Amino acid sequence: MQSPELSQNYFELFGLNPVFEIDPTELHARQQRLQATYHPDRHAASSDQQKRLSVQMASWINQAYETLQDPVKRARYLLEINGTSMPDDSATTADGAFLMEQIELREEVEACRHGENGLQRSEDIAERLDQRANDLAREFVDSFGAGKTDAAIEASRKMQFIQRIQQQLAELQFELEDF
Amino acid sequence: MALLQISEPGQSAAPHQHRHAAGIDLGTTNSLVATVRSGEAVCLPDDEGRCLLPSVVCYSADQCQVGYPAWAHQSSDPLNSISSVKRLMGRGLEDVSRLGEILPYEFVSSNDSPVPRIRTAGGDFSAVEVSSEILQVLAQRARDSLNGDLEGVVITVPAYFDDAQRQATRDAAKLAGLNLFRLLNEPTAAAVAYGLDQKADSLIAVYDLGGGTFDISILRLNRGVFEVLATGGDSSLGGDDMDHALGEWIIEHCGIVELDAGLNRQILLAARSAKEALTLSEAVEFSVDYRGQSWRTEIDRRQFDDLISGLVKKTLQACRRALRDAGLKPDQIDDVVMVGGSTRVPLVQSMVGEFFAREPMCELDPDQVVALGAAIQADILAGNKPDNEMLLLDVLPLSLGIETMGGLAEKIIDRNTAIPVARAQEFTTFKDGQTAMAVHVVQGERELVSDCRSLARFELRGFPPMVAGAARIRVTYQVDADGLLSVTAEETTSGVKADIVVKPSYGLTDGEIESMLRASMEHASEDMQMRMHKEQQVEARRVIEAIDAALTQDGALLLDESEMTQIQQQRDALAAAVESASTDELKKLIKAVEQASEAYVARRMNASVKQVLAGKQIDEVDV
Repeated sequence: MQSPELSQNYFELFGLNPVFEIDPTELHARQQRLQATYHPDRHAASSDQQKRLSVQMASWINQAYETLQDPVKRARYLLEINGTSMPDDSATTADGAFLMEQIELREEVEACRHGENGLQRSEDIAERLDQRANDLAREFVDSFGAGKTDAAIEASRKMQFIQRIQQQLAELQFELEDF
Repeated sequence: MALLQISEPGQSAAPHQHRHAAGIDLGTTNSLVATVRSGEAVCLPDDEGRCLLPSVVCYSADQCQVGYPAWAHQSSDPLNSISSVKRLMGRGLEDVSRLGEILPYEFVSSNDSPVPRIRTAGGDFSAVEVSSEILQVLAQRARDSLNGDLEGVVITVPAYFDDAQRQATRDAAKLAGLNLFRLLNEPTAAAVAYGLDQKADSLIAVYDLGGGTFDISILRLNRGVFEVLATGGDSSLGGDDMDHALGEWIIEHCGIVELDAGLNRQILLAARSAKEALTLSEAVEFSVDYRGQSWRTEIDRRQFDDLISGLVKKTLQACRRALRDAGLKPDQIDDVVMVGGSTRVPLVQSMVGEFFAREPMCELDPDQVVALGAAIQADILAGNKPDNEMLLLDVLPLSLGIETMGGLAEKIIDRNTAIPVARAQEFTTFKDGQTAMAVHVVQGERELVSDCRSLARFELRGFPPMVAGAARIRVTYQVDADGLLSVTAEETTSGVKADIVVKPSYGLTDGEIESMLRASMEHASEDMQMRMHKEQQVEARRVIEAIDAALTQDGALLLDESEMTQIQQQRDALAAAVESASTDELKKLIKAVEQASEAYVARRMNASVKQVLAGKQIDEVDV
């Protein structure tokens, strides 16, 4: 996209170090701070050029925020700005054991739909998934820090797998809570 | 603020005249206008002290009446009295014929324009023109009351309004000769009206149940910044459904077997007044005339509650979905704001209160609250409160997508994404030697294009022939703060480009708007050319002012001599021409200044980002 300042990456825009571990509260505060200056509402009575610039800038800030606040997108973006372009969503992993685990997890999630205590069981799965996501994030940080790009890519892909199951689980929990 | 440079707090508050601004709630049934006077938002009444203006326009051969006079003609002259026009905004003939069962008007369309027009004794009119009549009456009310012209207005729209409906609303404002600061979502306006921005931190649910629609919005408030986290609702659920439910009960209860249109209307009216009476009384008695007899019956609140509890549950279902989209549980909500006449129903208040485990806020008149919030926002956007930190960050209400092979809609921007937003996606050709590509822009959540709303179609033509899959077509969607879309497509290996501002398939073209404007100007014996010229002069002065302020501040720091000279030259050329040049020449000169200063602006932007974030740390020390 056309940004008003192409030389800046998302981390630079937010004045943050380009690392995986960032404080979400601080990120949010900085996003709002920037929007408070650049949002088109702050330029409603200005010239057309100003208005155009502010729309571009506010879009850029929103896009940066959306990327950085999501762990999977953040990991991929870190790889990207370090010169590793990630193939898109079609990505897969060659780790057979991991794939097996994914299939089992998905089946477990689906099983909550039937039988008793579905909601309770889903909470247990959610907890395990959170744990798994944390482990993978650490794996990513370690590999990325050690310059092991391939391992970092692999970790980010696995993070994405876990995230998808988390979304699937959230959708299911919503249905189970239904009255 | 010059070229997006920030100024130190306090310094920006250059003393200036109070600028008149108004907030307008352009409603389906009634419309209102409000303004901020001596620091307080108030709805402006007409000569007879009525704040509500019925959203009805009546056309006859020689005049056009708006509001109560038009409303009075509704039963005697239904074909020429246009009501509920909001339902037609941004809609095509297909949607209109679907609504045809309830709307008695005769629609006409021509080959030149897909926009349906309503045939009346005074001519054929589009929904945009009818709305613009309502806007003009409200704006005039504000001018009379404020004793001066309006710098700008904020108009509210339902959160679920799609791009076509928003465009149509913007066009109506343009046609009414109003400077539209912003389209604001109705629920957001309501939260603002309650002054919740004075709280440090809060999670807010705005529950808006009107006559025919339901909206739920989840907002987060943090130090004056309202952030819409999620919106949801049902565009065909509201108080009218309660009337129908009660009407059916009456039909059954009185043993009515033959129902004609007149009787049906009588029953619905009886149902509505019973519903209204039941907000205060525990039971109400009413009668229906049927086959020459008068049927008297009584209904108590518990019976009524049984009839409507399913409807209220449906709204809570939508609340749950919105909460889930926001990643929240009902009991995490701090404040629940009630909007819309139907929230006066006691069962609604109690079930909503129970759901959120919190007493809902209903102190302000639920019919006025949206207009009041719009007025507060208009006052801020006019620049009357430079120290006010309030900022409203919105989200896209419905996903935007593109048609791909097989009639599937591929989402480019998901709903509930923070706006403004820009997103690009690459596509490629599927045939060898293909030199053109059709782009079909759609909006909606469904998988199939046929289930989504078609916003626009355009073609990218004239890129060089390549083997299938070799072309790289980059389609960029840009959504502004009003939720309005513009699309660009570019074949990146050749650089062939096509830009369009999305004019919805059922929207008016710029040409149509212009000719309508001309017509209305002639009518008002004002010179259109003159107005456009004046606007361009104002724009030129703004540009000069901005560039001067910027150059004084950091021109020497960020520019080398030749860059500086070039910008100065263009600036001087524009300054010399402001009074004498034609409208088109001014446009060109403004463009030249913008082009000359492009790189400079980027550098300033970069510098100012650092300044904004640096300011943050100072703030933190203060707190």
